[in-house]
Amino acid sequence: MNARPPFFRRPGIVLALRYAAAVALTVGFLFPVYWLFIISFKTPEEIFAFPPVWYPKSVQFANYAVLFKDGDAVTVWNSLVLAGVSTVIAMVLGTICAYSLVRFKTGGENLAVWIISQRMMPPIAIAFPVFLLYVFFGWVDSYHGLIILYTAFSLPYVIWMMRGYIEDLPLELEESALVDGLTRWEVLWKVVFPMVRSGLFATAVFTFVFAWNDFLFALVLTRTEVITYTVQVTHYFGGQSNFWAKIAAMSVLGTIPVFFTVAVLQRYLVRGISMGAVKG
Amino acid sequence: MADLKITNLHKHYSGVQAVRGIDLEVASGEFTVLVGPSGCGKSTLLRTIAGLETPDGGTIEIGGRVVNYVRPRDRDIAMVFQNYALYPYMNVFENIAFGLRARKTPQAEIETRVRRAADMLGITPLLERLPRQLSGGQRQRVAIGRAIVRNARLFLFDEPLSNLDAQLRDEMRSEIKRLHQELGTTMIYVTHDQIEAMTLADRIVLLRDGKIEQAGTPLDLYERPATRFVAGFLGSPQMNFVPAQLAQSGGGWAVKVGSDVSLPLPARQGDGLSDGRAIVLGLRPQYVTRANGSHRPGHERLGVTVELVQPTGSRAYITFPLGGVPIVAELESHDVQRPGERIDLDLDMNRAVLIDPESNRVI
Amino acid sequence: MVGADDITTPAGVAPDRLFKYWLIVPAIFLLLLVGLFPLIYSLIVSFQNITMMEVDTSFAGFVNYAQLFKDARLWEALLHTGLITIIALPLELVLGLLMAQLFLERMPGRQIFVSLLVLPTVIAPIVAGATWRLMFDHRYGPINQIIGWLAGEPTTLLWNVNPNLVYPAIFICEVWQWTPFMFLILLAALSNVDKSLTEAAEIDGAGYWRTFFKIVLPSIWPVMAIAILIRGLDLARIFDVIWALTRGGPGTMTETISIYTYVQGFQQFETSYTAAIAFLVIAMLTIIVVWAIRRMGLAK
Repeated sequence: MNARPPFFRRPGIVLALRYAAAVALTVGFLFPVYWLFIISFKTPEEIFAFPPVWYPKSVQFANYAVLFKDGDAVTVWNSLVLAGVSTVIAMVLGTICAYSLVRFKTGGENLAVWIISQRMMPPIAIAFPVFLLYVFFGWVDSYHGLIILYTAFSLPYVIWMMRGYIEDLPLELEESALVDGLTRWEVLWKVVFPMVRSGLFATAVFTFVFAWNDFLFALVLTRTEVITYTVQVTHYFGGQSNFWAKIAAMSVLGTIPVFFTVAVLQRYLVRGISMGAVKG
Repeated sequence: MADLKITNLHKHYSGVQAVRGIDLEVASGEFTVLVGPSGCGKSTLLRTIAGLETPDGGTIEIGGRVVNYVRPRDRDIAMVFQNYALYPYMNVFENIAFGLRARKTPQAEIETRVRRAADMLGITPLLERLPRQLSGGQRQRVAIGRAIVRNARLFLFDEPLSNLDAQLRDEMRSEIKRLHQELGTTMIYVTHDQIEAMTLADRIVLLRDGKIEQAGTPLDLYERPATRFVAGFLGSPQMNFVPAQLAQSGGGWAVKVGSDVSLPLPARQGDGLSDGRAIVLGLRPQYVTRANGSHRPGHERLGVTVELVQPTGSRAYITFPLGGVPIVAELESHDVQRPGERIDLDLDMNRAVLIDPESNRVI
Repeated sequence: MVGADDITTPAGVAPDRLFKYWLIVPAIFLLLLVGLFPLIYSLIVSFQNITMMEVDTSFAGFVNYAQLFKDARLWEALLHTGLITIIALPLELVLGLLMAQLFLERMPGRQIFVSLLVLPTVIAPIVAGATWRLMFDHRYGPINQIIGWLAGEPTTLLWNVNPNLVYPAIFICEVWQWTPFMFLILLAALSNVDKSLTEAAEIDGAGYWRTFFKIVLPSIWPVMAIAILIRGLDLARIFDVIWALTRGGPGTMTETISIYTYVQGFQQFETSYTAAIAFLVIAMLTIIVVWAIRRMGLAK
């Protein structure tokens, strides 16, 4: 006869406990996100009700309509342009640089360490001198000014990640292509890029998200013309009262694309955020 | 005319000398196999010929033109890689056509040439497939197809069969041999497998430590190795090496092993033979046979105690002691039953190799 | 070795020799813009005397650097930054590890839980700060409401003003956003631990904790170290969350080095002095980062 295991060791009980913990954790972590989203759908009466309204009676989009009517929503467009363009440039320049580092050991380990160490620099220490430079050039509050900075700031990440993906490629494919009659540049475009395209895509998305989520550079280097959504959110903060509906609606506008991204990128998420330390 | 001429070639990687002064000529249509243990520089040599590495010294000529600094694509070569190097996102047809497209060959000609190559290799039904849908042997055929479709002057093979299992390897080996006979192209083939080298080569170039140890036809190297290394490298099981001494015996010379065994050498003359000189006697396992009554000239009879029997099916490897070292002999499988048995063996001294223990060169 | 005289080589240059440099030139140029230029420019400006009042570009010697040592607010900002890092980092690490343990074994729907739990990490930090600003509102925020339920009486805690509560508020927001980051990475690392190692330890008679500290932890350490490095450096430059929650207040109580630099440069317009601070910060972090990267063999 089999003795039954103690109560808390029984597989069914263990699983139930784990589920309970998992659900509690998930609810806890997602509640702030939930709160942010429902505020954006609430009417002013619901927002400023006391005690708080835990779920809105009806979903209404007036808070978003206001953003579009006032033209505030254009800041989301600005974020899109800045993050999008800088990502494309950073991907091209970063990938070919990574290729050179991997295949030709250009600059050796020192160059690689220097490049990744740039990733770790505090943005404010970079932003300040760059701000002085941009004042001199008249680039403050311009698309190209921020695009250049975002590109440069994204490069270490792109180079680092693509370096990992390119290292995973078999060298023989490229050598074979060289023997088959391709030039070095053709090998890059016709063999290397197609081979790393999934890594390229994943890295591009992360690069985009980092630029999209940036606040400090945009705060320092914009005034009125190319304000990003992150800066716009802080404009609704007040000393005593906040523009709750606008904070929430603008935040949701900026957050939805990022959530969508995560959903698409499940497979590359860990490798992307751990900077390649974990290969998925 | 020589298709490939290499003069005093040197190549080193961060201080390590991979190729040190190699001279080599490969005649048109010849199948040359570069063979040697890992790290002997054979792959480096091949990659330098391909242009994937730039030599540090010496010259490489292909078809009479010095190509030291010519890009791989301009050398008129084709190469088959160990891992096949198939582009995973292209189907078989596109993989084979890749080199032709890179050279802007007209579509119609690409079509006919790819089809012809595919027919030759029996992979026509696979043309639409992707590399990951192919077996190892099929991938290897595609890789070869990609090389032959180019009609290059020089074919390079870098250990093309080492990723295949034993049975496929045998099959592909004969395939490559057949292709060479059909195409008649100059081929240079790198392998560490001496059986591949022996079966495929018109000429074997045996490398060691970045230098050519010996070059010649397979039989040359097998029968008349220049050094102990060559003697040991070719042939399976490995040649036996027995420390011994030369001694004058009657009108000729004999090899004295230990104190009690004396094996007279068949009539041979030469310098360097002197009484009492220490030598190493080299004897292939195949040249030791079970004594069968009749005495053949040059064969010396020896009574031995069998220590170990390893049957392989048709043959049996037995081990017995001689001169303090274990000697392997390859006998018929029914020649010997079990260890401990005492049997008489004939040693074919016509084929014995005498090696100088100092220089390791064959005397 | 063969002497150089013995080797004859035809004159010529390998083609494509410059190719590898062409590939890195554009990237390096841009990297110098954020890597080298700020350092040099900060250095130059820091030896001048540019303030909101006057633009004096003559060599001013080490006045700004001397000022650094006398600036109590700067050292407090450094202290705050260090404090936040030292407290938040272990919290995130331990919580992340516990969560990873919970989800390590397979269970139906695990992937959905993991995907949902990761969401806070990918939100913009400034939005995370804004979200918690809403959560912490003393009157309409749900946090006080829930505390009120538990306490049995209405509470109106001023989370972003009360000196006793500002740091907890910052930690809650930080830990909420970044524990999932640790969780995700550690979960992947734990999943990659060779099962035969832990099984062998079990058979050898090692208990749970011994197995964890002697087998599991060393196995995941390389990955964990990188996660700590990434998060540690993020925390050292923390700006957005604090900007959203307290703006460094009350007074300068939660002012970090990034906030302080911003205030000096963009609100007080102490250009030269800010440059000195920026130079100090870049120099300090460069040393730490390069040391850490080399130490961890991150560059392989």
